Amino acid sequence: MSQPIISVKDLHIWYNDFHAIKGISIDYLPNTINAIIGPSGCGKSTFVRTLNRIHEEVPGARAQGSIMYMGKNILSSEVDPVDLRRQIGMVFQKPNPFPSMSIFENTVIGLKLQGEKNKSKLMEVAETCLKKAALWDEVKDKLNKPGTSLSGGQQQRLCIARSLAVNPPVLLMDEPTSALDPIATGKIEELMTELKKEYTVIIVTHNMQQAARIADYTSFFILGELIEHGLSSDIFTNPKQKTTEDYITGRFG
Amino acid sequence: MENVVNHSSNTKPTPSSSPSGGPKGGFFSLKNQDKLHLTAIKSLAVFVIGLLITLLILLLKQAWPAVTEFGVEFITSDWWNPVEDQFGGLSFIVGTVLTSIIAIIIAAPVSIGVALLMTEVLPERAGKTIGLFVEMIAAIPSIVFGLWGLFYLAPFVRETLTPIIKSTLGFIPFFNGPSFGIGVLTASLILAIMIIPTITSLCREVFRSVPTLQREAALGLGSTRWEMIRLAVIKPSFSGIMGGIVLGLGRALGETMAVAMVIGNQPEIPKSIFSSAATMASVIANEYAEADSDLHVSALCLVGILLFGVTLIANAIARLIVWNYNRKQQG
Repeated sequence: MSQPIISVKDLHIWYNDFHAIKGISIDYLPNTINAIIGPSGCGKSTFVRTLNRIHEEVPGARAQGSIMYMGKNILSSEVDPVDLRRQIGMVFQKPNPFPSMSIFENTVIGLKLQGEKNKSKLMEVAETCLKKAALWDEVKDKLNKPGTSLSGGQQQRLCIARSLAVNPPVLLMDEPTSALDPIATGKIEELMTELKKEYTVIIVTHNMQQAARIADYTSFFILGELIEHGLSSDIFTNPKQKTTEDYITGRFG
Repeated sequence: MENVVNHSSNTKPTPSSSPSGGPKGGFFSLKNQDKLHLTAIKSLAVFVIGLLITLLILLLKQAWPAVTEFGVEFITSDWWNPVEDQFGGLSFIVGTVLTSIIAIIIAAPVSIGVALLMTEVLPERAGKTIGLFVEMIAAIPSIVFGLWGLFYLAPFVRETLTPIIKSTLGFIPFFNGPSFGIGVLTASLILAIMIIPTITSLCREVFRSVPTLQREAALGLGSTRWEMIRLAVIKPSFSGIMGGIVLGLGRALGETMAVAMVIGNQPEIPKSIFSSAATMASVIANEYAEADSDLHVSALCLVGILLFGVTLIANAIARLIVWNYNRKQQG
Protein backbone atom coordinates (compact mmCIF):
# COMPACT_ATOMS: atom_id res chain seq x y z
CA MET A 1 0.00 0.00 0.00
CA SER A 2 1.37 3.40 -0.95
CA GLN A 3 2.10 6.22 1.45
CA PRO A 4 -0.76 8.63 2.17
CA ILE A 5 -0.38 12.01 0.49
CA ILE A 6 -2.39 13.75 3.19
CA SER A 7 -2.64 12.42 6.67
CA VAL A 8 -5.06 14.08 9.06
CA LYS A 9 -4.61 13.31 12.76
CA ASP A 10 -6.94 14.30 15.56
CA LEU A 11 -8.14 17.47 13.85
CA HIS A 12 -10.28 19.86 15.87
CA ILE A 13 -11.76 23.03 14.44
CA TRP A 14 -13.55 25.79 16.28
CA TYR A 15 -15.45 28.83 15.12
CA ASN A 16 -15.11 31.00 18.19
CA ASP A 17 -16.83 28.77 20.78
CA PHE A 18 -18.47 26.42 18.33
CA HIS A 19 -16.67 23.09 18.11
CA ALA A 20 -17.21 22.26 14.42
CA ILE A 21 -14.83 19.34 13.93
CA LYS A 22 -14.21 17.02 16.85
CA GLY A 23 -11.07 15.00 16.44
CA ILE A 24 -11.04 13.57 12.94
CA SER A 25 -8.25 11.35 11.59
CA ILE A 26 -8.17 10.22 7.95
CA ASP A 27 -5.40 9.19 5.56
CA TYR A 28 -5.73 10.06 1.90
CA LEU A 29 -3.89 7.95 -0.66
CA PRO A 30 -2.49 9.47 -3.84
CA ASN A 31 -4.44 9.14 -7.10
CA THR A 32 -7.73 8.38 -5.45
CA ILE A 33 -11.08 10.11 -5.28
CA ASN A 34 -12.24 10.56 -1.73
CA ALA A 35 -15.78 11.60 -0.97
CA ILE A 36 -17.05 13.15 2.22
CA ILE A 37 -20.77 12.74 2.85
CA GLY A 38 -23.02 13.69 5.72
CA PRO A 39 -26.01 15.84 6.61
CA SER A 40 -25.88 19.64 6.34
CA GLY A 41 -23.92 21.31 9.07
CA CYS A 42 -21.83 18.25 9.86
CA GLY A 43 -18.57 20.06 9.14
CA LYS A 44 -17.78 18.60 5.71
CA SER A 45 -17.01 21.95 4.14
CA THR A 46 -15.16 23.16 7.20
CA PHE A 47 -13.01 20.06 7.12
CA VAL A 48 -12.13 20.32 3.47
CA ARG A 49 -11.50 24.07 3.71
CA THR A 50 -8.99 23.45 6.46
CA LEU A 51 -6.94 21.22 4.17
CA ASN A 52 -5.66 24.29 2.31
CA ARG A 53 -6.15 26.66 5.21
CA ILE A 54 -8.77 28.76 3.46
CA HIS A 55 -10.80 28.33 6.66
CA GLU A 56 -8.58 31.06 8.10
CA GLU A 57 -10.59 33.56 6.06
CA VAL A 58 -13.53 33.12 8.43
CA PRO A 59 -12.99 35.35 11.47
CA GLY A 60 -12.76 33.34 14.67
CA ALA A 61 -11.82 30.03 13.04
CA ARG A 62 -8.95 28.03 14.49
CA ALA A 63 -7.68 24.50 14.01
CA GLN A 64 -5.83 22.08 16.23
CA GLY A 65 -4.24 18.74 15.48
CA SER A 66 -2.09 17.84 12.54
CA ILE A 67 -2.51 17.62 8.78
CA MET A 68 0.64 16.10 7.37
CA TYR A 69 1.38 16.90 3.74
CA MET A 70 4.81 16.39 2.15
CA GLY A 71 6.30 15.74 5.58
CA LYS A 72 5.05 18.98 7.09
CA ASN A 73 2.14 19.86 9.32
CA ILE A 74 0.32 22.39 7.18
CA LEU A 75 -1.34 23.89 10.23
CA SER A 76 2.00 25.02 11.62
CA SER A 77 2.98 28.64 11.23
CA GLU A 78 6.07 27.69 9.21
CA VAL A 79 3.91 26.70 6.28
CA ASP A 80 2.99 29.63 4.08
CA PRO A 81 -0.73 29.34 3.20
CA VAL A 82 -0.09 31.04 -0.16
CA ASP A 83 2.43 28.39 -1.09
CA LEU A 84 0.20 25.62 0.26
CA ARG A 85 -2.78 26.71 -1.82
CA ARG A 86 -0.69 26.44 -4.97
CA GLN A 87 -0.24 22.76 -4.15
CA ILE A 88 -3.67 21.99 -2.78
CA GLY A 89 -6.14 23.56 -5.18
CA MET A 90 -9.79 24.17 -4.54
CA VAL A 91 -13.01 24.18 -6.55
CA PHE A 92 -15.95 25.80 -4.83
CA GLN A 93 -19.63 25.07 -4.54
CA LYS A 94 -20.73 27.79 -6.92
CA PRO A 95 -18.80 28.42 -10.10
CA ASN A 96 -16.76 31.56 -9.44
CA PRO A 97 -14.78 32.64 -12.49
CA PHE A 98 -13.46 36.18 -12.21
CA PRO A 99 -16.09 38.32 -13.93
CA SER A 100 -13.59 40.89 -15.16
CA MET A 101 -11.46 38.32 -16.97
CA SER A 102 -11.75 36.41 -20.22
CA ILE A 103 -11.88 32.63 -20.40
CA PHE A 104 -8.20 32.57 -21.27
CA GLU A 105 -7.20 34.93 -18.46
CA ASN A 106 -9.31 32.99 -15.99
CA THR A 107 -7.55 29.77 -16.91
CA VAL A 108 -4.00 31.05 -16.55
CA ILE A 109 -4.39 33.57 -13.74
CA GLY A 110 -2.84 31.18 -11.21
CA LEU A 111 0.26 30.83 -13.34
CA LYS A 112 0.42 34.56 -13.94
CA LEU A 113 0.37 35.07 -10.19
CA GLN A 114 3.41 32.85 -9.98
CA GLY A 115 5.19 35.17 -12.37
CA GLU A 116 4.79 33.35 -15.69
CA LYS A 117 4.72 35.95 -18.47
CA ASN A 118 5.61 33.98 -21.58
CA LYS A 119 2.55 34.23 -23.83
CA SER A 120 3.07 31.02 -25.74
CA LYS A 121 3.69 29.10 -22.54
CA LEU A 122 0.49 30.51 -21.05
CA MET A 123 -1.43 29.64 -24.18
CA GLU A 124 -0.06 26.12 -24.07
CA VAL A 125 -1.07 25.66 -20.43
CA ALA A 126 -4.50 27.12 -21.10
CA GLU A 127 -5.07 24.63 -23.89
CA THR A 128 -3.87 21.66 -21.84
CA CYS A 129 -5.92 22.57 -18.82
CA LEU A 130 -9.07 23.37 -20.76
CA LYS A 131 -8.67 20.03 -22.53
CA LYS A 132 -8.22 18.25 -19.20
CA ALA A 133 -11.36 19.97 -17.96
CA ALA A 134 -13.18 18.81 -21.11
CA LEU A 135 -14.00 22.39 -22.02
CA TRP A 136 -11.58 23.09 -24.86
CA ASP A 137 -13.86 22.12 -27.72
CA GLU A 138 -16.62 24.34 -26.41
CA VAL A 139 -14.53 27.47 -25.83
CA LYS A 140 -11.57 27.32 -28.19
CA ASP A 141 -13.14 29.87 -30.54
CA LYS A 142 -14.07 32.36 -27.84
CA LEU A 143 -11.15 32.41 -25.43
CA ASN A 144 -11.38 36.20 -25.21
CA LYS A 145 -15.01 36.24 -24.16
CA PRO A 146 -15.62 36.87 -20.45
CA GLY A 147 -15.60 33.79 -18.23
CA THR A 148 -19.05 34.65 -16.97
CA SER A 149 -20.54 34.39 -20.45
CA LEU A 150 -20.45 30.59 -20.17
CA SER A 151 -23.21 28.39 -18.79
CA GLY A 152 -23.07 27.26 -15.15
CA GLY A 153 -21.63 23.85 -15.95
CA GLN A 154 -19.06 25.33 -18.31
CA GLN A 155 -18.12 27.92 -15.69
CA GLN A 156 -17.51 25.19 -13.15
CA ARG A 157 -15.30 23.31 -15.61
CA LEU A 158 -13.50 26.60 -16.26
CA CYS A 159 -12.89 26.85 -12.51
CA ILE A 160 -11.52 23.32 -12.51
CA ALA A 161 -9.23 24.20 -15.41
CA ARG A 162 -8.14 27.30 -13.50
CA SER A 163 -7.21 25.13 -10.52
CA LEU A 164 -5.38 22.63 -12.70
CA ALA A 165 -3.23 25.32 -14.31
CA VAL A 166 -0.99 25.59 -11.26
CA ASN A 167 -0.70 21.80 -11.30
CA PRO A 168 -1.64 21.03 -7.69
CA PRO A 169 -1.07 17.41 -6.60
CA VAL A 170 -4.27 17.60 -4.54
CA LEU A 171 -7.60 19.04 -5.62
CA LEU A 172 -10.29 19.86 -3.07
CA MET A 173 -13.86 20.15 -4.29
CA ASP A 174 -16.58 21.56 -2.11
CA GLU A 175 -19.88 20.32 -3.57
CA PRO A 176 -18.75 21.19 -7.09
CA THR A 177 -21.91 19.99 -8.78
CA SER A 178 -24.60 21.13 -6.36
CA ALA A 179 -25.43 24.14 -8.52
CA LEU A 180 -25.45 22.20 -11.77
CA ASP A 181 -27.94 20.21 -13.80
CA PRO A 182 -27.57 16.42 -14.26
CA ILE A 183 -25.87 16.70 -17.66
CA ALA A 184 -23.24 19.13 -16.43
CA THR A 185 -22.85 17.01 -13.29
CA GLY A 186 -22.24 13.94 -15.42
CA LYS A 187 -19.54 15.75 -17.35
CA ILE A 188 -17.77 16.84 -14.20
CA GLU A 189 -17.95 13.36 -12.68
CA GLU A 190 -16.47 11.93 -15.84
CA LEU A 191 -13.78 14.53 -15.60
CA MET A 192 -12.94 13.63 -12.03
CA THR A 193 -12.36 9.98 -12.80
CA GLU A 194 -10.03 11.19 -15.55
CA LEU A 195 -8.25 13.55 -13.17
CA LYS A 196 -7.40 10.96 -10.57
CA LYS A 197 -4.72 9.56 -12.87
CA GLU A 198 -2.67 12.62 -12.06
CA TYR A 199 -4.25 14.15 -8.99
CA THR A 200 -5.69 13.24 -5.64
CA VAL A 201 -9.26 14.48 -5.35
CA ILE A 202 -11.13 15.13 -2.13
CA ILE A 203 -14.76 15.96 -2.78
CA VAL A 204 -17.55 17.03 -0.48
CA THR A 205 -20.93 15.99 -1.79
CA HIS A 206 -24.54 15.91 -0.76
CA ASN A 207 -25.29 13.41 -3.42
CA MET A 208 -24.68 9.87 -2.20
CA GLN A 209 -25.12 8.36 -5.65
CA GLN A 210 -22.34 10.64 -6.78
CA ALA A 211 -20.05 9.41 -4.02
CA ALA A 212 -20.91 5.82 -4.82
CA ARG A 213 -20.32 6.37 -8.55
CA ILE A 214 -16.98 8.07 -8.50
CA ALA A 215 -15.25 7.83 -5.12
CA ASP A 216 -12.72 5.16 -4.20
CA TYR A 217 -13.07 6.00 -0.55
CA THR A 218 -15.92 7.61 1.33
CA SER A 219 -16.05 9.22 4.75
CA PHE A 220 -19.29 9.77 6.61
CA PHE A 221 -19.47 12.76 8.98
CA ILE A 222 -22.11 13.63 11.54
CA LEU A 223 -21.92 16.72 13.74
CA GLY A 224 -18.19 17.13 13.35
CA GLU A 225 -17.36 13.51 14.00
CA LEU A 226 -16.16 10.86 11.60
CA ILE A 227 -18.61 7.97 11.81
CA GLU A 228 -17.09 5.76 9.19
CA HIS A 229 -14.34 5.84 6.60
CA GLY A 230 -13.55 3.14 4.09
CA LEU A 231 -13.81 1.89 0.53
CA SER A 232 -16.92 3.29 -1.10
CA SER A 233 -17.95 -0.20 -2.11
CA ASP A 234 -18.00 -1.19 1.55
CA ILE A 235 -19.65 1.96 2.84
CA PHE A 236 -22.49 1.82 0.36
CA THR A 237 -23.12 -1.92 0.33
CA ASN A 238 -22.01 -3.11 3.70
CA PRO A 239 -21.65 -0.27 6.23
CA LYS A 240 -20.24 -1.21 9.60
CA GLN A 241 -22.13 1.42 11.53
CA LYS A 242 -25.87 1.50 12.02
CA THR A 243 -25.94 5.33 11.60
CA THR A 244 -24.21 5.08 8.24
CA GLU A 245 -26.71 2.52 7.05
CA ASP A 246 -29.59 4.69 8.23
CA TYR A 247 -28.18 7.69 6.44
CA ILE A 248 -27.44 6.06 3.10
CA THR A 249 -30.76 4.31 3.02
CA GLY A 250 -32.58 7.54 3.79
CA ARG A 251 -33.87 6.56 7.20
CA PHE A 252 -31.80 9.16 8.95
CA GLY A 253 -33.73 11.93 10.72
CA MET B 1 -68.20 20.97 2.64
CA GLU B 2 -65.56 23.31 3.91
CA ASN B 3 -64.30 23.82 0.38
CA VAL B 4 -67.67 24.98 -0.74
CA VAL B 5 -67.88 27.54 2.04
CA ASN B 6 -64.44 28.84 1.24
CA HIS B 7 -65.21 29.06 -2.39
CA SER B 8 -68.34 31.09 -1.91
CA SER B 9 -66.62 33.47 0.47
CA ASN B 10 -63.89 34.01 -2.09
CA THR B 11 -66.28 35.05 -4.78
CA LYS B 12 -67.75 37.75 -2.57
CA PRO B 13 -66.76 41.04 -4.12
CA THR B 14 -64.63 42.45 -1.32
CA PRO B 15 -62.27 45.10 -2.66
CA SER B 16 -59.15 43.62 -1.06
CA SER B 17 -59.42 40.03 -2.19
CA SER B 18 -61.21 40.05 -5.51
CA PRO B 19 -58.99 40.21 -8.56
CA SER B 20 -61.64 41.99 -10.60
CA GLY B 21 -61.20 45.05 -8.44
CA GLY B 22 -64.29 45.15 -6.31
CA PRO B 23 -67.44 47.05 -7.13
CA LYS B 24 -67.27 48.43 -10.62
CA GLY B 25 -66.16 52.03 -10.77
CA GLY B 26 -64.73 52.02 -7.24
CA PHE B 27 -62.09 54.70 -7.19
CA PHE B 28 -59.65 52.69 -5.09
CA SER B 29 -60.20 49.36 -6.82
CA LEU B 30 -57.03 47.33 -7.41
CA LYS B 31 -56.98 48.24 -11.07
CA ASN B 32 -57.28 51.92 -10.33
CA GLN B 33 -54.67 51.73 -7.58
CA ASP B 34 -52.08 50.67 -10.12
CA LYS B 35 -53.11 53.43 -12.47
CA LEU B 36 -53.01 55.98 -9.67
CA HIS B 37 -49.54 54.90 -8.65
CA LEU B 38 -48.31 55.07 -12.16
CA THR B 39 -49.80 58.49 -12.76
CA ALA B 40 -48.41 59.81 -9.49
CA ILE B 41 -44.92 58.51 -10.22
CA LYS B 42 -45.02 59.74 -13.80
CA SER B 43 -46.12 63.23 -12.83
CA LEU B 44 -43.43 63.46 -10.17
CA ALA B 45 -40.81 62.48 -12.72
CA VAL B 46 -42.13 65.03 -15.19
CA PHE B 47 -42.16 67.63 -12.43
CA VAL B 48 -38.47 67.09 -11.66
CA ILE B 49 -37.48 67.27 -15.31
CA GLY B 50 -39.67 70.35 -15.72
CA LEU B 51 -37.97 71.97 -12.75
CA LEU B 52 -34.56 71.46 -14.31
CA ILE B 53 -35.65 72.85 -17.66
CA THR B 54 -37.35 75.88 -16.08
CA LEU B 55 -34.26 76.60 -14.03
CA LEU B 56 -32.05 76.47 -17.08
CA ILE B 57 -34.39 78.64 -19.15
CA LEU B 58 -34.60 81.31 -16.45
CA LEU B 59 -30.81 81.32 -15.99
CA LEU B 60 -30.31 81.53 -19.72
CA LYS B 61 -32.76 84.43 -19.99
CA GLN B 62 -30.85 86.27 -17.30
CA ALA B 63 -27.53 85.45 -18.96
CA TRP B 64 -28.67 86.36 -22.46
CA PRO B 65 -27.27 89.93 -22.51
CA ALA B 66 -23.79 88.52 -21.72
CA VAL B 67 -24.20 85.87 -24.42
CA THR B 68 -25.06 88.42 -27.11
CA GLU B 69 -22.40 90.86 -25.90
CA PHE B 70 -19.42 88.48 -25.70
CA GLY B 71 -20.44 85.34 -27.55
CA VAL B 72 -17.79 82.64 -27.69
CA GLU B 73 -15.24 85.11 -26.39
CA PHE B 74 -16.74 84.62 -22.95
CA ILE B 75 -15.06 81.24 -22.70
CA THR B 76 -11.89 82.05 -24.62
CA SER B 77 -10.98 85.29 -22.86
CA ASP B 78 -9.75 85.55 -19.30
CA TRP B 79 -10.24 89.32 -19.09
CA TRP B 80 -12.67 89.86 -16.21
CA ASN B 81 -13.07 93.52 -15.41
CA PRO B 82 -16.36 94.61 -13.81
CA VAL B 83 -15.28 98.27 -13.79
CA GLU B 84 -15.04 98.35 -17.59
CA ASP B 85 -17.91 95.89 -18.04
CA GLN B 86 -15.59 93.46 -19.78
CA PHE B 87 -16.22 89.84 -18.93
CA GLY B 88 -14.41 86.68 -19.96
CA GLY B 89 -14.77 83.56 -17.85
CA LEU B 90 -11.85 81.40 -18.97
CA SER B 91 -9.84 81.92 -15.77
CA PHE B 92 -12.75 80.62 -13.68
CA ILE B 93 -13.18 77.56 -15.85
CA VAL B 94 -9.46 76.84 -15.49
CA GLY B 95 -9.64 77.49 -11.75
CA THR B 96 -12.57 75.15 -11.23
CA VAL B 97 -11.24 72.34 -13.39
CA LEU B 98 -7.70 72.63 -12.03
CA THR B 99 -8.62 72.62 -8.34
CA SER B 100 -11.07 69.75 -8.85
CA ILE B 101 -8.61 67.62 -10.76
CA ILE B 102 -5.86 68.13 -8.18
CA ALA B 103 -8.39 67.34 -5.46
CA ILE B 104 -9.37 64.10 -7.21
CA ILE B 105 -5.73 63.14 -7.72
CA ILE B 106 -5.18 63.51 -3.99
CA ALA B 107 -8.52 62.16 -2.76
CA ALA B 108 -9.06 59.13 -5.01
CA PRO B 109 -6.05 57.03 -3.91
CA VAL B 110 -6.60 57.97 -0.26
CA SER B 111 -10.29 57.07 -0.44
CA ILE B 112 -9.72 53.77 -2.23
CA GLY B 113 -7.01 52.93 0.30
CA VAL B 114 -9.19 53.76 3.28
CA ALA B 115 -12.11 51.80 1.80
CA LEU B 116 -9.87 48.76 1.25
CA LEU B 117 -8.53 49.09 4.77
CA MET B 118 -12.06 49.12 6.13
CA THR B 119 -13.38 46.19 4.11
CA GLU B 120 -10.37 43.94 3.48
CA VAL B 121 -7.78 44.48 6.18
CA LEU B 122 -9.31 45.52 9.48
CA PRO B 123 -11.72 43.37 11.49
CA GLU B 124 -15.32 44.35 10.87
CA ARG B 125 -15.84 46.38 14.02
CA ALA B 126 -12.68 48.46 13.59
CA GLY B 127 -13.62 49.07 9.97
CA LYS B 128 -17.06 50.30 10.95
CA THR B 129 -15.59 52.66 13.55
CA ILE B 130 -13.29 54.21 10.99
CA GLY B 131 -16.22 54.44 8.58
CA LEU B 132 -18.13 56.42 11.18
CA PHE B 133 -15.31 58.93 11.49
CA VAL B 134 -14.98 59.28 7.74
CA GLU B 135 -18.69 59.93 7.44
CA MET B 136 -18.45 62.56 10.15
CA ILE B 137 -16.11 64.52 7.88
CA ALA B 138 -18.97 64.72 5.40
CA ALA B 139 -21.19 66.27 8.05
CA ILE B 140 -18.89 69.27 8.65
CA PRO B 141 -20.38 72.40 6.99
CA SER B 142 -18.21 73.79 4.23
CA ILE B 143 -17.91 77.20 5.91
CA VAL B 144 -16.17 75.46 8.83
CA PHE B 145 -13.79 73.86 6.37
CA GLY B 146 -13.17 77.34 4.96
CA LEU B 147 -12.33 78.78 8.37
CA TRP B 148 -10.08 75.91 9.22
CA GLY B 149 -8.42 76.20 5.83
CA LEU B 150 -7.84 79.91 6.22
CA PHE B 151 -6.40 79.76 9.73
CA TYR B 152 -4.56 76.44 9.77
CA LEU B 153 -4.17 74.92 6.34
CA ALA B 154 -3.03 78.11 4.62
CA PRO B 155 -0.12 78.76 7.02
CA PHE B 156 0.77 75.07 6.84
CA VAL B 157 0.87 75.21 3.06
CA ARG B 158 2.94 78.39 3.12
CA GLU B 159 5.49 77.29 5.69
CA THR B 160 5.75 73.52 5.38
CA LEU B 161 4.28 72.22 2.15
CA THR B 162 5.61 74.92 -0.19
CA PRO B 163 9.33 74.36 0.61
CA ILE B 164 8.88 70.60 0.22
CA ILE B 165 7.17 70.90 -3.16
CA LYS B 166 9.59 73.52 -4.40
CA SER B 167 12.62 71.44 -3.47
CA THR B 168 11.28 68.30 -5.16
CA LEU B 169 9.15 69.42 -8.11
CA GLY B 170 10.39 73.01 -8.28
CA PHE B 171 12.16 72.45 -11.60
CA ILE B 172 8.74 72.39 -13.26
CA PRO B 173 7.59 76.02 -13.54
CA PHE B 174 4.06 75.07 -12.52
CA PHE B 175 5.34 73.93 -9.12
CA ASN B 176 7.41 77.05 -8.53
CA GLY B 177 6.41 80.58 -7.67
CA PRO B 178 5.56 82.88 -4.81
CA SER B 179 3.35 81.26 -2.19
CA PHE B 180 1.13 83.15 0.22
CA GLY B 181 -0.67 80.17 1.62
CA ILE B 182 -3.96 80.92 -0.03
CA GLY B 183 -4.28 79.73 -3.60
CA VAL B 184 -4.88 76.76 -5.86
CA LEU B 185 -3.04 74.21 -3.72
CA THR B 186 -4.82 75.11 -0.49
CA ALA B 187 -8.19 75.09 -2.23
CA SER B 188 -7.44 71.71 -3.78
CA LEU B 189 -6.40 70.26 -0.42
CA ILE B 190 -9.60 71.50 1.22
CA LEU B 191 -11.62 70.04 -1.65
CA ALA B 192 -9.77 66.75 -1.37
CA ILE B 193 -10.59 66.48 2.32
CA MET B 194 -14.21 67.35 1.61
CA ILE B 195 -14.70 64.72 -1.08
CA ILE B 196 -12.80 61.89 0.62
CA PRO B 197 -15.91 60.78 2.59
CA THR B 198 -18.00 60.67 -0.59
CA ILE B 199 -15.56 58.54 -2.55
CA THR B 200 -14.70 56.37 0.46
CA SER B 201 -18.31 55.50 1.27
CA LEU B 202 -19.07 54.59 -2.31
CA CYS B 203 -15.93 52.49 -2.73
CA ARG B 204 -16.64 50.74 0.54
CA GLU B 205 -20.10 49.73 -0.62
CA VAL B 206 -18.70 48.56 -3.94
CA PHE B 207 -15.97 46.50 -2.29
CA ARG B 208 -18.46 45.05 0.16
CA SER B 209 -20.65 43.87 -2.67
CA VAL B 210 -17.84 41.67 -4.03
CA PRO B 211 -18.89 38.10 -3.16
CA THR B 212 -16.73 36.22 -0.64
CA LEU B 213 -16.62 33.49 -3.26
CA GLN B 214 -14.50 35.72 -5.52
CA ARG B 215 -12.05 36.42 -2.74
CA GLU B 216 -11.78 32.72 -1.93
CA ALA B 217 -11.30 31.90 -5.59
CA ALA B 218 -8.26 34.16 -5.69
CA LEU B 219 -6.87 32.91 -2.38
CA GLY B 220 -7.51 29.31 -3.39
CA LEU B 221 -5.24 29.80 -6.38
CA GLY B 222 -2.41 30.80 -4.11
CA SER B 223 -2.59 34.55 -4.33
CA THR B 224 -1.25 36.76 -1.58
CA ARG B 225 -3.65 39.07 0.21
CA TRP B 226 -2.65 42.01 -1.96
CA GLU B 227 -2.98 39.97 -5.17
CA MET B 228 -6.39 38.83 -4.00
CA ILE B 229 -7.45 42.43 -3.40
CA ARG B 230 -6.21 43.45 -6.84
CA LEU B 231 -7.78 40.52 -8.70
CA ALA B 232 -11.00 39.86 -6.88
CA VAL B 233 -11.84 43.22 -5.32
CA ILE B 234 -10.44 46.17 -7.27
CA LYS B 235 -10.62 44.82 -10.81
CA PRO B 236 -14.33 43.99 -10.87
CA SER B 237 -15.09 47.20 -8.96
CA PHE B 238 -13.73 49.55 -11.62
CA SER B 239 -17.07 51.04 -12.66
CA GLY B 240 -18.10 51.45 -9.05
CA ILE B 241 -14.85 53.22 -8.18
CA MET B 242 -15.32 55.50 -11.19
CA GLY B 243 -18.85 56.22 -9.97
CA GLY B 244 -17.48 57.29 -6.60
CA ILE B 245 -14.87 59.49 -8.23
CA VAL B 246 -17.50 61.15 -10.41
CA LEU B 247 -19.66 61.90 -7.38
CA GLY B 248 -16.62 63.36 -5.64
CA LEU B 249 -15.73 65.34 -8.75
CA GLY B 250 -19.26 66.71 -8.92
CA ARG B 251 -19.00 67.91 -5.37
CA ALA B 252 -15.55 69.40 -5.96
CA LEU B 253 -16.64 71.27 -9.10
CA GLY B 254 -19.57 72.88 -7.36
CA GLU B 255 -18.09 73.51 -3.91
CA THR B 256 -18.31 77.21 -3.19
CA MET B 257 -17.82 78.55 0.30
CA ALA B 258 -14.71 76.73 1.46
CA VAL B 259 -13.00 77.36 -1.85
CA ALA B 260 -13.98 81.03 -1.94
CA MET B 261 -12.33 81.48 1.46
CA VAL B 262 -8.96 79.98 0.62
CA ILE B 263 -8.36 80.41 -3.11
CA GLY B 264 -7.56 84.12 -3.09
CA ASN B 265 -10.24 85.17 -5.56
CA GLN B 266 -8.05 86.53 -8.27
CA PRO B 267 -9.69 86.37 -11.69
CA GLU B 268 -6.55 85.19 -13.47
CA ILE B 269 -5.39 81.90 -14.91
CA PRO B 270 -3.07 80.56 -12.17
CA LYS B 271 0.60 80.53 -13.18
CA SER B 272 1.58 77.99 -10.56
CA ILE B 273 0.01 75.68 -8.04
CA PHE B 274 0.63 78.34 -5.38
CA SER B 275 -1.02 81.25 -7.23
CA SER B 276 -4.25 82.83 -6.17
CA ALA B 277 -7.09 82.07 -8.53
CA ALA B 278 -10.87 81.92 -8.62
CA THR B 279 -13.38 79.25 -9.52
CA MET B 280 -16.75 79.61 -11.21
CA ALA B 281 -18.56 79.00 -7.97
CA SER B 282 -16.35 81.31 -5.92
CA VAL B 283 -16.69 84.24 -8.32
CA ILE B 284 -20.47 84.00 -8.22
CA ALA B 285 -20.48 83.88 -4.43
CA ASN B 286 -18.11 86.81 -4.15
CA GLU B 287 -19.53 89.16 -6.73
CA TYR B 288 -23.29 88.66 -7.02
CA ALA B 289 -24.00 91.04 -4.11
CA GLU B 290 -21.86 93.83 -5.51
CA ALA B 291 -22.77 93.45 -9.13
CA ASP B 292 -23.85 96.97 -10.16
CA SER B 293 -24.34 96.72 -13.89
CA ASP B 294 -26.90 94.46 -15.48
CA LEU B 295 -24.18 93.05 -17.68
CA HIS B 296 -22.21 91.99 -14.60
CA VAL B 297 -25.21 90.08 -13.20
CA SER B 298 -25.78 88.58 -16.58
CA ALA B 299 -22.14 87.49 -16.85
CA LEU B 300 -22.35 85.82 -13.44
CA CYS B 301 -25.43 83.92 -14.57
CA LEU B 302 -23.56 82.80 -17.64
CA VAL B 303 -20.74 81.57 -15.40
CA GLY B 304 -23.38 79.58 -13.55
CA ILE B 305 -24.56 77.98 -16.77
CA LEU B 306 -20.99 77.21 -17.73
CA LEU B 307 -20.47 75.53 -14.35
CA PHE B 308 -23.48 73.38 -15.05
CA GLY B 309 -22.02 72.56 -18.45
CA VAL B 310 -18.59 71.67 -17.06
CA THR B 311 -20.20 69.32 -14.51
CA LEU B 312 -22.21 67.68 -17.28
CA ILE B 313 -19.11 67.23 -19.43
CA ALA B 314 -17.18 65.73 -16.50
CA ASN B 315 -20.00 63.24 -15.96
CA ALA B 316 -20.13 62.41 -19.65
CA ILE B 317 -16.37 61.78 -19.78
CA ALA B 318 -16.56 59.50 -16.75
CA ARG B 319 -19.41 57.56 -18.32
CA LEU B 320 -17.43 57.24 -21.50
CA ILE B 321 -14.48 55.81 -19.55
CA VAL B 322 -16.69 53.25 -17.80
CA TRP B 323 -18.46 52.38 -21.03
CA ASN B 324 -15.19 51.95 -22.86
CA TYR B 325 -13.79 49.81 -20.06
CA ASN B 326 -16.85 47.59 -19.95
CA ARG B 327 -16.78 47.19 -23.70
CA LYS B 328 -13.16 46.07 -23.52
CA GLN B 329 -14.14 43.58 -20.82
CA GLN B 330 -16.73 42.05 -23.09
CA GLY B 331 -13.95 41.29 -25.56
